[in-house]
Formats: sequence, C-alpha cells, structure tokens
Amino acid sequence: MLYIELFIQGLIQGSTYAIIAVGLTLVYGLLRVLHVAHAGLFTLGAYLGVVVTNQTGSLAAGILLAAIGSGVVGMAIYRLVYEPILNRPPHVALIASIGLYIGMEELFRLVFGPFGLSFASAPLQSVVIFFDIHLRTCQIVTMITNILLLGILAWISQRTRIGIGWRATVDDPEISACFGIDPVRVRYLVFFMGSALAAVAGVLVALLSNFVEPTMGAVPSYKSLAIIVLGGLGNVTGTLIASLALGIIEAFGTIYIGNFLDRDAIAFAFLIVVLMIKPTGLFASR
Amino acid sequence: MNNRLLLIVMLGFCMCFNTAWAGETLKIGFNAPLTGFAASDGKSSSFGAKLAVKQINENGGINGKNLELVIYDDQAKASQSIPIANKLIGQDKVVVGISGSYSGPTRSAAGIFQEAGIPYISAYAIHPDITKAGNYVFRTSFLGEVQGRAGAKLIGEILGKKKVVMITLKNDFGKSLAAGFKEKAKTFGITIINEYEYSIKDRQFGAIVAKVKSDNPDAIYASGYYFTAGPLVSQLRASGITVPVIGQEGYDSQKFIEIAGKAAEGVIITTSLDRDSLSPETKDFIKNFEELAGYKADMVAASAHTAVQVAALAIEKAKSTDPEKIRAALAGISLKASTGTIEFNSLGEVRKSVQNQVVKNGQWHHHSVIDDPELLAPPEK
Amino acid sequence: MGLYEISLATVVGINIILAVSLNLITGYCGQISLGHAAFYGIGAYTAALLAKIGWPIYLTLGAGFFLAGIAGAVIGLTSLRVREDFLAIVTMGVAFLFVGIVRQQEFLGGEMGISGIPSPGMTKPAYLCLVLIIALLAILFSWYVKRSWMGYAFDAVADDEQTAKTLGLDIKSYKITAFAMGTAMAGLAGGLYAYYTRFIIPDAFGFIQSITILSMVAVGGIGSIFGVVLATIFLSLMPEIFRFINDYKLLLYGILLFSVMRFAPDGLAGFYKLLYKKRNLR
Repeated sequence: MLYIELFIQGLIQGSTYAIIAVGLTLVYGLLRVLHVAHAGLFTLGAYLGVVVTNQTGSLAAGILLAAIGSGVVGMAIYRLVYEPILNRPPHVALIASIGLYIGMEELFRLVFGPFGLSFASAPLQSVVIFFDIHLRTCQIVTMITNILLLGILAWISQRTRIGIGWRATVDDPEISACFGIDPVRVRYLVFFMGSALAAVAGVLVALLSNFVEPTMGAVPSYKSLAIIVLGGLGNVTGTLIASLALGIIEAFGTIYIGNFLDRDAIAFAFLIVVLMIKPTGLFASR
Repeated sequence: MNNRLLLIVMLGFCMCFNTAWAGETLKIGFNAPLTGFAASDGKSSSFGAKLAVKQINENGGINGKNLELVIYDDQAKASQSIPIANKLIGQDKVVVGISGSYSGPTRSAAGIFQEAGIPYISAYAIHPDITKAGNYVFRTSFLGEVQGRAGAKLIGEILGKKKVVMITLKNDFGKSLAAGFKEKAKTFGITIINEYEYSIKDRQFGAIVAKVKSDNPDAIYASGYYFTAGPLVSQLRASGITVPVIGQEGYDSQKFIEIAGKAAEGVIITTSLDRDSLSPETKDFIKNFEELAGYKADMVAASAHTAVQVAALAIEKAKSTDPEKIRAALAGISLKASTGTIEFNSLGEVRKSVQNQVVKNGQWHHHSVIDDPELLAPPEK
Repeated sequence: MGLYEISLATVVGINIILAVSLNLITGYCGQISLGHAAFYGIGAYTAALLAKIGWPIYLTLGAGFFLAGIAGAVIGLTSLRVREDFLAIVTMGVAFLFVGIVRQQEFLGGEMGISGIPSPGMTKPAYLCLVLIIALLAILFSWYVKRSWMGYAFDAVADDEQTAKTLGLDIKSYKITAFAMGTAMAGLAGGLYAYYTRFIIPDAFGFIQSITILSMVAVGGIGSIFGVVLATIFLSLMPEIFRFINDYKLLLYGILLFSVMRFAPDGLAGFYKLLYKKRNLR
C-alpha cells in the first residue's frame, strides 16, 4: 500500500514536471535553444493565477488569465530575445535566457515582495479517500490535466493542419516553408502554447503547496533541462515518460536514499546513469 | 558687501556645526541578505534592527548620541560579507557589528571582527563555530542543539508522546536541531521511529507524507522555515495525519499560518517570542513592529531587534566607544528583551528560557515555557 | 590600501583565476561546462581539510590543484560520449552531484561545512599578492596555450569537431587535456578561496556559482583572455559599485547578461573589436 502511495505521489510530481517540460522541449525541437527563462513563465503563471483568483474568487478565471498572460509574454520573449540571436552559438541563447530568468525573478520579488503569496482561501483542497489513500482534489486535477493536455497536444500534432505544419517545421524548416507553412507563425504558436502550459503548471503547483514565491522557478529551470535531455530533445512523448519516471524515482529516492543524496542530486544521478548507457537519451528523436 | 560676507561666515559656521553634529552618532554595522534567495530574512531582520534604532533614538539615544545603523547587503555570501566587514570596521568605523544574515557569511565576518577587536553579535545565524571565532563574538539566539534538546523535553515530557518521526531540513539549522533532539530523546523516553530529510528547496512532500503515515507515530518533530513548514504541515494534515506536529523558531512567522491555513491549528513550536507575553518589552515590540513594517513580527525580526538593543545597552554601560570596554560590558550584560532575558556565557552564547507557542484560531499563542538551565546550557567552549 | 580594498581585490583575483580557467574549457575547446564550481569546490575542500591537519599552504593548494585536475580528466572522459548540448546538462549534473554528495558526508563537514580553516600564514596584503601572482600566471598560461600548437588544435575542435577528426587530430586527448587544465586551475582558486573565507559550506560551490563563472566568461567574450579578465573585474565589483541602488542590483545583473548576449554576443571582446575595426576603416 505504501509503495502504491509513493508511486501515485511520484506520478503527481511527475505530472507537474511534464507540463513544464513539454513547453521546453517544443522550443528546443524548433529552435535548438535551451530556454531557461521558461521557468520564469511558470512563476509568472503562478503569480497571475493566485492574484486573479484572490481578486475574483474564481479559479477558472485565474487559470485562464495566467495561461494567456504567460503565453503572450512567451511570444514577446521569442521576438525580443531569441529571434535576433538565432544564428549565434548555443551559449549565447543560454546565457541570455539565464539573464532573463534572473531579471524575472527579481521583478517578482520587487513587485510582489520576498515573502511569497498564498490563496486567500485555497480551492481544490477537499480530500478524496479511496482505499485509505488520501488525495486532495488538486492532486487528482494535476494528474488529469497532464493526461488531458498531452492528449490534446498529441491530437493537434497528428490530426490537425496546424499540428502537421508544426511537425514539418521542426523536421525541416526550409522545405516546409516551400510548402507554404510560415515558420515564424509556427514559432509564435509554440512559444504561446509552451508558455501557457508552464503557466498552468504554475497554478497547479500553487494549489498543491498554497505558496507562490519569486524563486519557485529555480528548481524547474534546471530540472526540466535534465528531463528534456532524458526524454530526447524535441520528443514530446519521451519528455512525458521521462517526467513521470523522474517523479517516481524522486518519490522512492527521497525515502530510501534520502540520507545519502538530496532530491536534485538523485534526479541528476538518474540522468547521468541513463546518459552513460544511452548517450542520446531515453528516446532519441533523431 | 558686508552683508554678503556675514552670510558666508554664517553659512560656514552652520556647515561646521552640521558636520560636527553628523559626527555625533554611534554607528552600528549590520550585514543582511537584502537581495538574493534569502531576501525575506534580510528584509525582516533589517526592519527589526531599524525599529530598535528608531526607538532608542526616540528615547534620547545612548550616552547623549544617536545611533546610526549602517546596513549592507551581503546576499548571504561569505565573499561579500568579508569586504563588508572590512568596510564597516575600516571606513564606517562602527562601534559594534551585528549580523542579520546566515551562518556562512556570519562566520567569515566574525573572524574579521574578532581580528579587529570589534564586538560582533549574531542575531539568528545558528552555526556553533560562529562564537568560537573569539571572545568578541556573541550570539543572541539559541544554538540549534539547545533548541533541539528543548524540543525533546516538549514532546517527551510536556506532551507525553513517545513514538516520534523526525522530518529534518537538510542544512545546518535542521541538522543541529536534529542532533540536539536525538541527544536528549532517551532522557525523555522518546523512541525515534524514523528520520527523513528534505532539501530547503522542496515544497512538495508527497512521498515523505505517505511514508510517515505508514510509520504511524505519536508525534512528528519537523524542522524547517515558514516556506517549507507551511506546505509540509498542510500536506501532512491533508493526508489524514492527526498527531501533533512540533516545530521550532523557523516556523515563527504569520506567513506559516497563512500558508498552512487550518492545518496550522495546534502546531507547537519552540521559540523565543511569546505573543501572549505580559512583559512590556515584548508587547511593545510586537505592536511597534507591525506599525513600522506593515506585517506581523517574526522570529528573525525579533532577534535582530534584540541584538541591537543588547549592543546599545553595552555601549551605554561601557560609557565609551572603546571596543574593549564594550566587549566587557557585553560579556556581563543582562537585558530583558522581547526574546527573553539575554545573558551570555563565557563563549558568548546566550542563556535564556524557551517559549513554546501554539497556533490557536489562526494566531500564535502561549503554550508553555521550558526553563531548565541544565538542559538549555550552551557549551562553554 | 585599506583592508576593505584588499579584501575586495582578493575576491576579484580569485574570480579571475576561475573565469580564465573556464575560458580554457569553454573558450578554447568549445565545450560548455555548467559544473565548473564543483572543481572549485574540490580544490577548496581538499585545501581546507589538509590545512586543518597541518599541511603548509603550498602543499594544500597543490593538492587541490591536482585533485581537481584528475576529477576534470575523469569528467573529460565522460564528455566524449555525449554531444555538445548534452555536455552542458551532464556538467550541470556534476554540479548538483558534488553538492549533494558533499553535504551528506560527515568527514567533509556535511551541512556544517568546514570551519576554523587556519590562516594562510601571511599578512592580508601578502596574501593578496599571492592571489594576484597566481592570477597573472593563469592569464599568461592561457595566453601561451592560445598561441601554441595546442591552441590551434583547441580552436579546430571548437570550430568543427568532425573536420578536425578527419585531419587526424586526436580529439580525445585534446578534450580531456582542456578539461583537466581548466579544472585544475579552478581547484587552485578553490584552495585560495578556502584560506580567504576560513569557512566553507557546500552551497558555495553549487550550480548558481557555476552560472556566475560562466557569465563572466560569456560577457567577456568566450575565448578572449583580455575580455574575460575585464568582465570578471567588473562583475565581481558590481555589488560594491551598485550599492546605491542595492535593491535593484540583481535585476541589473540579469539585464546586463541578457543585453550583452543580445546586443554584443561576442562579449566585451567583440565589442572592442568592433570599435577597433570602425576606427581603422576611417
């Protein structure tokens, strides 16, 4: 029973990772950029979600505005930060992204204060009990959101024109341009969606811990990098599986080897072991 | 022409008068993490210090002069606290230094102050080796070990719970609390079923909560700060765990109650600030802090406030700015502050009683006091 | 020069050694390392532990230098298996693993770190001289490597690994050598840091510190020694220079990083070259 519970907790944690990491891997697949500032959009979404929900009393409004807000900012980041430096060596985008993330963290602190925010009265906290396992509604919602979002993403990319266009652009931007697919539009779309997803993850995490702070993006910023490498850069399904796997490994790891390694070290140990065995990641896409 | 000359002479006279007046302040140095990851503690501690300086100056200052607080941001890094310490001593010529920062920067700065022979007080940094820097270094807050021992008495004797699970924060604070707790656990009949550790960055404790539930303890001794303890306690309660949760002064902030909401009810902590205290020093501090800062006082603010008061009293008793006299005054001081009666032992560690507080109806309230001098005795060297 | 200026200068000197050492790895061999602070840490811990059991300073610094270099060679070996982007993440993993493992070992001080590190046995100004001399040596060494045959090989690897391979360059050895040289120097810097702060904790050598060092190299211009040194001096002194807008200085730092990469991706060195070119064209 304990093992099942640990497994479920791992899935919940892994779901939050997945929703964040998918946006990151989409951006990487498209632009070969390690978009560290993605974590800033995660934090932005969390703050927007909490502030709007506290003001309006409606969580739905909070999530919607958070997603749209982050989506728009994400697109702006593409246009102002990445587009001008696309032809530069990879470290340029990486450092620019890190600088941007630091700036965002500081802005959150200056605007919202260093002490963090909580919901006035946190929604989705009622407990559901089955087989002696207590789960809060927000935890169940997190797992469902993960499945839904990724299901929708998969459907979009396989069955709709937009999705096919985007996959084509990732595969070969020049040829797809010949076919009339506008690569720039695809990029804006990817940034909007990835950032909106990060924002949703932010609101979910805010619900799970009832606490939003300026530095909450720090851990996702580097952990998602590890996850997308594990999952195969640019590979959405791989990222999903890697996220869940990591969540589960962390859950068991913190209990059984927690006095030997801390959580982050466990995540990276896992990563390094996998890369030693399979240098292209769990599921290489190319 | 004569009028002009007169004006210039008067201006010159005023200027001399001004600089002379400006020289009539007693400078107290203060290093705190105002930016960076520790900014919340830096903000609280500097508010606490500023309040103390304001109150002392409103009461006429010390030995006829006003206090001036010289604050520098060290971002909780030793590589910054060392130049800051040198700057405070060499350029600002502070009379006393106070650390409103974490253990790393405090320990390094303490070495600088000791070498220069200027007294240095650690407001809340808990690393034991800080006071070992020398006889010019003092600490106004509990050592982690001491507080941990108090926790053992609280759980084992006062609450009468015997089967305990420990959830320990992985840093010097958490580890030293755990060490003190384990040291005295047997004395109070406590069996530690299991100990789990977590990182200061963790906010999701699902796995630990699940395991603790299966351990089925009588009580949980969890170390942390408001931003880890808040989520932890709320997740513990949400999973159906109803046994008492005991924390320490890291929880001591209204933010903990805000985050954990109803789950915070009944949580007991070992700390130094008694919200129900009838002592005028405490009531005064709590009320004035909220007026100045706009939010309710927390432990870090109270510690910094106390440290400044201690420094000021020492300067007053020494009746001079001679660092050696101030140091001697500090060593023999006895001050009733919001965080208890402050007296130092030969190492510069404080001896004071532990105030246990419990959350009732969304506020911190008095629970009990631990006053056992033998139990709470800090090391002498 | 007061103690304040001396302590600042010492920090700058140590940072220069760190930045120049990372420049060797990133700039000359094109391999992005996000875990450089781990080797800084290896050097610091080695020196600290040996100093506490009584070894003299030159031996402890040397030991830190060698241990960090060996660790670097080992990591260099792993870097062969993975491609560029992956290397960044693997080195990031090294950063976290180092801190994660060190903080659990009681003999390394664990969370409490190592305190009471003995004094270097010289006055503060003399210690500053030592640091500055080593920094100068690091700079000269970098400059020498750049101009030597090894430097050309490093450039080739950085530019186009595949072609360099076809030309018969032994990529393996060059990569490992670059790594080891860089990490050894970082280890030396670590030892100097330990004697400076007299108290070290695992957190000082984590991912954030690695990023800080990488930023100094990127802002200076990867590969350019002069640019990197200049950028390091400026960035190290930034907290002091910008004390008057203290609340905003980290924000400024983020904006600076981002702006330099966006508008002058070749860093200060590129900026300087641009000015130089403009002047010549007139």
